[in-house]
Amino acid sequence: MNNDKCCSCPESLAMATVPKQEWCEPYDFETALMEGTIFPCLNMPFFKADKGESNLKTTALSGTPAEADREAKMIELSTISFAINDLTLYLDTHPDCKEGLTLFKELLNKRLDLLAEFAGKFYPLTQISMITGKPDSCCYDWGEGPMPWEGGNI
Amino acid sequence: MWSYEKRLQFPVKIKNTCPKTAQLIISQYGGPDGELSASMRYLAQRYSMPVKKVGGLLTDIGTEEINHMEIICAMVYQLTKNLTPEQAKTAGFDAYYIDHTTGLWPQAAAGVPFTALEFQSKGDAMADLFEDLAAEQKARTVYDNLLRVIDDPDVKAPLKFLRAREIVHFQRFGEALEMTKEKMDNKNLYFFNAEFDKNMYKQTL
Repeated sequence: MNNDKCCSCPESLAMATVPKQEWCEPYDFETALMEGTIFPCLNMPFFKADKGESNLKTTALSGTPAEADREAKMIELSTISFAINDLTLYLDTHPDCKEGLTLFKELLNKRLDLLAEFAGKFYPLTQISMITGKPDSCCYDWGEGPMPWEGGNI
Repeated sequence: MWSYEKRLQFPVKIKNTCPKTAQLIISQYGGPDGELSASMRYLAQRYSMPVKKVGGLLTDIGTEEINHMEIICAMVYQLTKNLTPEQAKTAGFDAYYIDHTTGLWPQAAAGVPFTALEFQSKGDAMADLFEDLAAEQKARTVYDNLLRVIDDPDVKAPLKFLRAREIVHFQRFGEALEMTKEKMDNKNLYFFNAEFDKNMYKQTL
């Protein structure tokens, strides 16, 4: 208000600026979960972090065939759900981005199906997936399936 | 309103007991730049944000930080769940064990209990967004420090994931700062406080 004649540059003095991210083609969603973002342009790894080896594959798929099957489905659900998490923050600051919105809706649909499938085959992870995946449930029970922190999440 | 989903955002499956590692990682639960502090910071700041979309972003990132707190707690839990009394004597974890056994309690790596003094809610959009940008950088530094001294790949994978999220959140807070500035006079962004002097902010819309 008072200092508009002292500087003709477009940027403000005494202020920092962060450039807005442009849409960039996402990773495949399993890579995205391992890297911590779906956007290659935002992936800036630390030199002491392990590169690329998929921990999802090496530590999962152990135990009985039924457990391995459940873990594989959980990995699929986690990759799709994480892509949705990352896209949510992107859309918060890019609400009109067509590419982002199209992918967002596609993944939300896929996640609904996966939650229902998981509930039907194993146990419900959310209350809503109880009616979409296991409508004939005779109980609502924390005793079904492992606790998330027990390592039963993969 | 929140609802719970019975899984972690990133899988944690740690095979080897290591109380020393647990004692370091617990800092991201209750330490100065930890995930609990992060979620409380963003969820506290959102109410008075002048730009609706920024309040929304703070809600979404604050919610994600709760997921991260759960990941950190799962790591500490798995690193100590089969602890023997002999292992409980491990330097660094021994004092924690005496007070909490292997229960989860929010504290920093050096034993300082979680405190709201670790974060700020200043009621000024500029001050708060810069606090948030700095918070993401400080949390990234802690993950760098952890990744430098920890070798177990089961522990490194979730740490690497959590570190990457700090950078993404920094970018989003930067974009939130730009959205907030858009509606102000860029020659003097400090002429009024957009959260308190609401009428002045509205006039500039």
